[in-house]
This record gives sequence, structure tokens and C-alpha cells, in this order.
Amino acid sequence: MRKMLFLATTILTAVLAAGSAWADEKEVTVWSWFIQSTMDKSIAAFEKAHPDIKVKYTYYNYSPEYITALKAAAASGSLPDVIGLQPGSLTQQYRDNLEAVNERAEKEWGADWARKIFPVNRKQMQMGNPAGDKNYYIVPQESQVLCIWYNRKIFEKLNIAAPKTYDELKAAAKALTDGGYIPMFQGAADGWQNENVFLMLANQFSPGIVDKAQAGETPWTAPELVEAMKAWKGLFDDGIFQQGALGAHAYPTGAQLFAQGKVGMMALGSWWMQESKFPPPLSEYVQNMDGFDFFYMPPVKQGNPASPPVGGIDIGYGLTKNGGKNPAAWTFLAELTNGAGLQEALNDLNDLPAFDGHSPKGDITDHVKEMSTRFMTDLPKAENQRFASPAVAEALDNALAGVAAGSTEPEAALATVQAATEKALAAQ
Amino acid sequence: MRAEAVRAGPAAAIERRPASRTSTLYLFALPATLLFVVFIAYPILWVAGQSFYVRSGSGTSSFAGLANYVTVLGDPTFWIVVRNMLLWGVITIPVQMLIGGVLAYFIERHTHALRGFFRTMFFLPVVTSVSVISLVWVQIYAPYYGIAQEYLKHVGFVMMTSPIGDPKMAIYALVIVNIWQWTGFSMLMYIAGIANLPSEVLDAARVDGARGWRLAMHVIVPMLAPATKSLLLLGVIGTLQTFPIVHLMTGGGPNRASEVFGTFIFKQSFVLGDTGSGAALSVIVLVVALVLSLLQIVTLGARLTPAGKERA
Repeated sequence: MRKMLFLATTILTAVLAAGSAWADEKEVTVWSWFIQSTMDKSIAAFEKAHPDIKVKYTYYNYSPEYITALKAAAASGSLPDVIGLQPGSLTQQYRDNLEAVNERAEKEWGADWARKIFPVNRKQMQMGNPAGDKNYYIVPQESQVLCIWYNRKIFEKLNIAAPKTYDELKAAAKALTDGGYIPMFQGAADGWQNENVFLMLANQFSPGIVDKAQAGETPWTAPELVEAMKAWKGLFDDGIFQQGALGAHAYPTGAQLFAQGKVGMMALGSWWMQESKFPPPLSEYVQNMDGFDFFYMPPVKQGNPASPPVGGIDIGYGLTKNGGKNPAAWTFLAELTNGAGLQEALNDLNDLPAFDGHSPKGDITDHVKEMSTRFMTDLPKAENQRFASPAVAEALDNALAGVAAGSTEPEAALATVQAATEKALAAQ
Repeated sequence: MRAEAVRAGPAAAIERRPASRTSTLYLFALPATLLFVVFIAYPILWVAGQSFYVRSGSGTSSFAGLANYVTVLGDPTFWIVVRNMLLWGVITIPVQMLIGGVLAYFIERHTHALRGFFRTMFFLPVVTSVSVISLVWVQIYAPYYGIAQEYLKHVGFVMMTSPIGDPKMAIYALVIVNIWQWTGFSMLMYIAGIANLPSEVLDAARVDGARGWRLAMHVIVPMLAPATKSLLLLGVIGTLQTFPIVHLMTGGGPNRASEVFGTFIFKQSFVLGDTGSGAALSVIVLVVALVLSLLQIVTLGARLTPAGKERA
């Protein structure tokens, strides 16, 4: 009897202790399209620093899985605590479901916290907010700078230098084509890659003009933008892009061909460096980024400068209304964007930091460090690459595809973007 | 008494059922009814309701009557979609039926030992992931470095552009992929139909001198009418539901040239965040599907089971 009593007491104590430990452990739910392997490292670093908090991460492909999952969860009030966001349209779509982070961020990082974020990111954080709304609904984790990557080993083999003029770019494309390589791979079936190249071109004709156009301060049919659109068409007609680019995708097709050394150039961004941290086997070009370097789009017209750096937030995170009720959610979000979690992502060369004062550490070659430093030098002066209204971005995507296909003239195409902008601004 | 019951028919028999038995029967129908209401009827009604609301920039929704429908019908993209859907249905349904039917006929009547192998091989694309199919076909269509080009270069042909990158060709290029993927399904339906053909009818036709082409066209094809009607009905519904292939291969581009209802609704609702017009489009597709299905049932009849298995 005594034995039975002892056993029952022991079991009861164990159950109560386990229950109490379980009750003490807080959980944070996170959804994003951010690469799982890197997020796992960030979470591990966070959980090591905060053993009482467990993070449950759900990875989605961005489209259609992630954006449909968000929409359904928002409609049913079942969003997780923290969600991955892009600035502008995606953040604005879920603004009603997000907590403004101003007060929490001020408490966490001090009154001047926003000044620690690179200017282009700061601008993008409030992009699309209603007039007078100075709240921040997204905390950026990583930044990016757009550029033209080139395979320096192939360039060396063909005796080509990184182009500094449009003629040199054309000559490089011809030499690459003659050498059996794809000159500049453009996944023109993807709107985002077309937007990126157009932004490089437009900002070359007039820095900041796309921002002015989307704010309604300059018409999309302005001569500089028409010129940029003509230059865009020229990239197809002059053999800079590969034939059939309009049916091609940047990922996975273009990226794989580029990594395998079958492509000379590709318009991507600072995130390309992460390829060198992917699991082996890696090609000789990707290994430590040995085969790659980058340049900015050379002047496409006499008198133009080279394209300025264009970029901004690669990915950011929002604290949902559900997450607002869970103090552990902000703790994780803060570490992920400006703490131990971010450091892990940087060590994986996932992209550049959004907050100043961070740099990648660990097993990184001098060549990668040098490129990373160049990007970081350019980031503070980068022009904005994001759109406040998805309708404007969509109209620009269609305009770029129409002009590239030769089914629309640049002026007429830009007029449709202007119409979409006016409609979007009127709706605001 | 027995004669009266027969004359009165099943309706009278139901009338005479005890109330407790009737309630039991309703109880059996309850799970299916609940599932229908929760997962089909309610979402349809919810979407229909959403189609009458617009969302303002500040995030509030307001009743807008038929404004979303007017906007959608006035959008030139809508008419591109209608044209693409017509092309899609008119090309894919008969071509899939024809190729599927021919394959089924030859596999069932002219292969023996390898019958299972051929059935499996031709059905394989149906069960293959659309993502894989899309990736492979994008590579097939790629000019210069693509898979098709590797073969075409042996006959001196160089693909200058990708058909999915050409606004005039994109929809046809996608239709080909769809036919490639779904012909195996038509084949399977016809195989089921052929397997169920009454052998006495075929024997009688042979005794009467019907052979080969004549047997196929005048005996087998008419007897496969139920399978054909099923494929027609499923083909129309499948056409209106088209999404993954287009989304993954062209995203509806270039410049909306290959947009279909699925991608258009997706963009309006999830990319642009305009759930009102997305809902209006969904309701239009639902009505079109309903009307076309009813038309088919009225004109072609509802006998969709294979002839041999039809209940008297």
C-alpha cells in the first residue's frame, strides 16, 4: 500500500512538474518564405539565448502558397505571431492585422532606433501608409543592392573586361554569344527581374524618377522614362539579353545556368552571394564566389552616368495583432532583425543587413568580404526599388513585357502605367 | 394488395414509411449535407457576398452593388481571358479526346503483353506534379539551350524565341502542355468504356462483316458516347479551372497574353488585394460553368456511365 502511495505521489509530482515546465515555455509562431536552413540557424541562436521561448517556423513558397496562406489566415483571424513581409504593397495589404512597432522598437533599441536603419529601407518601411500615418508596420531584416553580376572566369577566358560603356556591354555580349555562352540571362517571364533592370535604367536617366512617378509628382510618360523604356527594348534588340528571354525564368533556370558557368552576366542583387553557402556540391564558380564579381549597368546613352545602386529591403517582418498579445513574439522579432538571428543570416551571406553596424562573420573569403564591403558602401545611397501600389507594379510589369515583345510602343505602355498610378492614388 | 402497391409506385411506398424510418434516412444524409453546406455552399455564398463590396485604401469595406461586375466586364484583360478560355476549351477537349480515344483503342485491341506498360506510360503525366511538368516544358521551349533545340539542331532548325515568350504563341504553347498532361486521362476513360462494351454486340457486328475502321467508327465510337460526354463535361470544367500550368510557366504573360480565369482571379485577389473584383470574377466563372454544364446535360443527356454498366 505504501509502495502504491509512493508511486502515485511520484507520478503526480512528475506530471505537475512537466505541466509547469510546459506552461513556462512560451511559443512563437512564424511564417515566411525565408530559406528554411538559414532560418533554422537563426532560430537555434535565438533559442540558445532565450531557452524559455520555442519558435515554430513554417516555410512557404512565396507565390502562390505564402500569399494565399496569409490571405486565408487574415480572413479567419488565425495569423501567426510574426509574418515575413515585403515593404509597400504586401505590408499595406495586412496593415489592419499588424501592430505598429514604434513603441516596442523605441524601448528595445532607443529613441533613435530608426536612424540605425539605412535611409532607403526607412523610406520603404512607411511606403503606402495613409497620409499622416507615421507608424512602422514592418521591421526590416535584410537589405539588397541590385547589380549586374558577371562570371569573371569566363570574362578572363574571353579576354573581356567588366563593361564601362554601352558599346563595351554590347561587345561583351557578342563575345560571349560567339563563345557559346548566354550573354546576359534575363528571366523576363518574371515581372520582378524586369522591374529591377528598368529601375537601373530609369535611375540612370534621372535618379529617383520612378519614386516621383509612383507618387504622382512626375508623369510616367516623362521623356526620361520613355528613354529608359527604349533602352530596355534595346537590351533585347542589341543581343544583350539571350534570345527568347521573355519565356525564361530567373529562378531556377537562369540561376542554375549562371552557377554552372553557362551564362556571362545576370541582373541580380547582393543576395547572389548566398549561393556560395549552399550545400555542396558547388561549381568552381560558386565556390567562395570565386567566379563572380559585379558591376552597375553602364551608361546606356551618351552623357548618362552608370546606374546608381538601387535596392532596399529584401525581407522584413511584421508583428501581427495575435503576436501583439504574445510578448515573446516581439523578443524574437527583435533578435531576428537586429540581433543574434540576423547575425546567423548574415553569416550565411543571405543578404546585407537592414540595420547599420552588422557584417558577416565566420568562414568568408577576402573576395566575398571585399564585395560585401562594396555593397555596404553603396547601400546608404541606394535608390528605392519598391512600389507602394501592387497595381502600379503590375501595370509596369505588363508594360515592360509588351514593349519587349514589340506589341506596344514605349509611350503607350507608359501611359497605361500612368493610368494605373492615377487610379491607385485616387483610391488612397 | 400487391398489385395496388406496384401501381402506386415508389412514391406511394415512401409515403407509407413510418416517421421514425424517414428521420433515420434524413440522419444518414446529414453528414453529406453538412459537408456540402460548410465546404461548398457557405464559401460560394461568402464569395458572392464579397463581390458586392469594395475595399478602400484605408482598409474599410463598403457596399458597391454591381460596381465590381461593371469594372471586371469593362477590363480589356477580361476579354483576353474569355478568348483564351475559348481557345483552350475548343482545342484541348477534342484533341485530348481524339488522341486519348485512339490510344485507348490501340492499347486495348492491339497490345497484349505490354498493355499495362502502355497504360501506365501514357497515364504518367496525369499523376506527375504540375511544378515538374512546368519546369520541364519551360526547358523544352527554351531557344538555343533548350531540350527541343537539342533535337531540332540535327535537322538544321534553330529556335529563335521561346513560344511562351511570344504574346501570339504563348496560349497555344500552354495548350500543348495541357494536352500532353491530360490526354492520359481521356485514354483511361475510353479504356474503361471499351472494357465495358458488351462482347455480344461486338461479336454480332463482326458476324455482320464490320471490321477495323468500320467497326471502330460505327459500333465502338457510338457505344462510347457516355465516356465522351463525361470527358466533355469534365473538359469544360477543367478548362475553367486552369491555373497551375499557366501560373508557373508564364504567370499569364507576356503582357497578359496567356491570362486565364484562374490567374486573373489570383492576381486580382491575392497580388493586387482587390478581393471584390476577384470575387466578382469567381462568381462569373461559377455561373459560366453552371450554364455550360446544364446546357450539356440538356442537349446531350445525363447518361454519363459506361453503356454496359448503366442501371435499368
